[in-house]
Amino acid sequence: MDFNIPEELASVNNLAQQILNDFTTVDQLEAIERQAPRFDPDLWQALATAGLLGLDIQEQFGGTDLGYYAVTALCEEVGRTVAPAPVVPVLVSAAGTLRRFASDQQQETWLPGIAAGSLQVSSALEEYANDDPTRPDAIAAATVGGYAISGTKICVSQATIARRILLSARNGDELVVALVDPRAAGITLSPQLVTSGETLHEMAMNAVQVPDEDIVAVGRKAVEAMQWIQRATRTALCAMMVGLADKMMRMTGSYTTEREQFGRPIATFQAVSHRVADCYIDVECLRLVTEQAASLIDQGRPAREASLIAKIWCGDTAHRVSQAAQHCHGGTGVDRDYPLHRYCLQARQIEMSLGNSAQLTAQLGSSIAEEYLASDPG
Amino acid sequence: MNIELTAEQQALQREVREYMKGIMTPALLEEMKDHDLREGGGPEFRKQYAKMGADGWIGLSWSKDLGGKELSHVEQYIFTDEVIRSGFAYPFLTTEACTPVIAAHANEEVREEVVRGVQRGEVVIAIGYSEPNAGTDLASLRTKAERDGEDWVINGQKMWTSLANYADYVWLAARTDPDPEKKHKGLTMFLVPTSAEGFSCTPVRTLGARTNATYYDNVRIPDKYRVGEINGGWKLITSQLNVERLSLFTHGQVDSLYQGVAEWSAQTAGPGGGRLIEQPWVQHNLARVKTGLEALKIMCWKQAWSMDQGPLDMAKASTAKVYGSEFFVELYRLLLEVMGTAGTIAADSPGAVLQGKLEFRWRVGSILTFGGGTNEVQRDIIAMAGLWMPRSR
Repeated sequence: MDFNIPEELASVNNLAQQILNDFTTVDQLEAIERQAPRFDPDLWQALATAGLLGLDIQEQFGGTDLGYYAVTALCEEVGRTVAPAPVVPVLVSAAGTLRRFASDQQQETWLPGIAAGSLQVSSALEEYANDDPTRPDAIAAATVGGYAISGTKICVSQATIARRILLSARNGDELVVALVDPRAAGITLSPQLVTSGETLHEMAMNAVQVPDEDIVAVGRKAVEAMQWIQRATRTALCAMMVGLADKMMRMTGSYTTEREQFGRPIATFQAVSHRVADCYIDVECLRLVTEQAASLIDQGRPAREASLIAKIWCGDTAHRVSQAAQHCHGGTGVDRDYPLHRYCLQARQIEMSLGNSAQLTAQLGSSIAEEYLASDPG
Repeated sequence: MNIELTAEQQALQREVREYMKGIMTPALLEEMKDHDLREGGGPEFRKQYAKMGADGWIGLSWSKDLGGKELSHVEQYIFTDEVIRSGFAYPFLTTEACTPVIAAHANEEVREEVVRGVQRGEVVIAIGYSEPNAGTDLASLRTKAERDGEDWVINGQKMWTSLANYADYVWLAARTDPDPEKKHKGLTMFLVPTSAEGFSCTPVRTLGARTNATYYDNVRIPDKYRVGEINGGWKLITSQLNVERLSLFTHGQVDSLYQGVAEWSAQTAGPGGGRLIEQPWVQHNLARVKTGLEALKIMCWKQAWSMDQGPLDMAKASTAKVYGSEFFVELYRLLLEVMGTAGTIAADSPGAVLQGKLEFRWRVGSILTFGGGTNEVQRDIIAMAGLWMPRSR
């Protein structure tokens, strides 16, 4: 048992904090948000130059290969600054899956560009009423030299910027994981404005031709890839939530210490300070279960249950902390000129993404039932 | 970052778990059915406590010159977790909180008498802090000790003096400076032998175990039973609070309740066929418990690990107290709901589930949120020490 943060990781955190702070003043964020998508290419390039886009990419492809845990540390800092940087869909879901499941040729094609920041590969994991990429409704029909993919993915990040979108579809009972060019014939991208304030895209595919060279995995390996992507992406969202929630809570501590009513700081009312103390407890719990899931994934150990539990805590913490933070800020908490709202909206977006608390609690409950029914001698 | 027990730590866990099975004899289980002996004190309890002493299991965390093994806090936590899981009324406050302080600050003769006695599993110490008018505001206590030649004369009353009905000593906080300005600075610690003349004890019957009111009517004790400096007691009281908390909300005791209820619901027929555990609402409750348990487990480990690295962060210690106590109460309810009305049948009544263990915990659960430092004060500490917010008023 060792909860220590290794030195190399601590310096990654410091570096990331410096860069992210430099690029996320209120003026800079407002300027980025006047355009769509919510993405800052200069920040992305600065992260690339500092080696932060290649934390979980092999050295031969220009990365530093510090591993999955290091990327979740970066995700936490991106959350803390609510930075317009698509670290989860590009670095975790796409690059993380490619380095573990793609062919050498595919890795050589895409990973160096991702590490250098010169190109992006994004991911599309959710469909209408279905956020399980191991059981997509999208169809992949085998053709000569590849597959024809049809179906609709929703809330896709970086769809207008990325060169490829990593997604899954099914060919009968067989799962197919493919890199789809979002500019290919048969694709319709429709902008979707979501709660976080970002413009994401619906990606409708009508018999889109995907050549063999862009097929990442088929069958059992494809299932393993999508199980990995689900656990790794959920856990990375949890890490981002740790940063978001920690910042919301600290902003609320500071605000209530400054804000005076009835002739005294409102933080001196226990009714207020205790609500913020409850946020502290939630954030601590989320941090612990997230660290556990991230370290298991980092070591390549089984992490299904740990990532489910972390994402349940993530949804609950997002809800409670974002509501408490806005409540304690009063009208200031919903004022678009004050920074808090960005954190709250981003938190609610993550709360509902890739499995929410109710749904994952049901999944966890059903696997507990399976476990205990299997061990029942009667 | 690696959040798992090492092979050695797992081996220790198994060793303690196996050993404790031998301590929980049928005779002890029978003896514990007596309400007054539930928290120890009966002849079989005395026998098993002394056996743990003889087998070298008491004082593992103590320094080597005290005869301990200097276990790390993580190892000590594993031991504590398993002993509590077993249900044995091991006197943790005696062995882990009081004795190390007594060893560091007591007169040599008393130190030998008490430390050796505890190590042999022959001595139990009750805590004499709270009074009828001094609970959370402990420093307002009024029991007084006055110097008379080589002796001290103690007068007053203590409340919730658990174990005092069979303990050998009371670890007593008394006022030695009546100046009201010196609230915290006028307290001194004493070890009061329960055999001393003028000491008496009456039972207080709670929803759970028996506790006591203790009375001190001109109790005269020699100065050797004073521990630490005169008027220096507050530091001794507060120095052991973190150690105390580490034994309050351990994971194993509630994890075994969760496992027990999950097994029971997998074996019990549900309404309309199938097993109870196949009901969606049962799965929901079990999943919520599991989700909370996982955070509790890592929090306990991280607390113990942090204590091996240096002083424990105040806000984190209070976080563990609030989260642990409120989650325990929530867990009791969620698990008892699975059993339904049958869950309310008390131990030894026909139809009691899991020997009534959960029923008992559910019935007395509210003690957790105010005991060991009430949660309002813990939240004040979190806001101040963790978030730099001003003191509430």
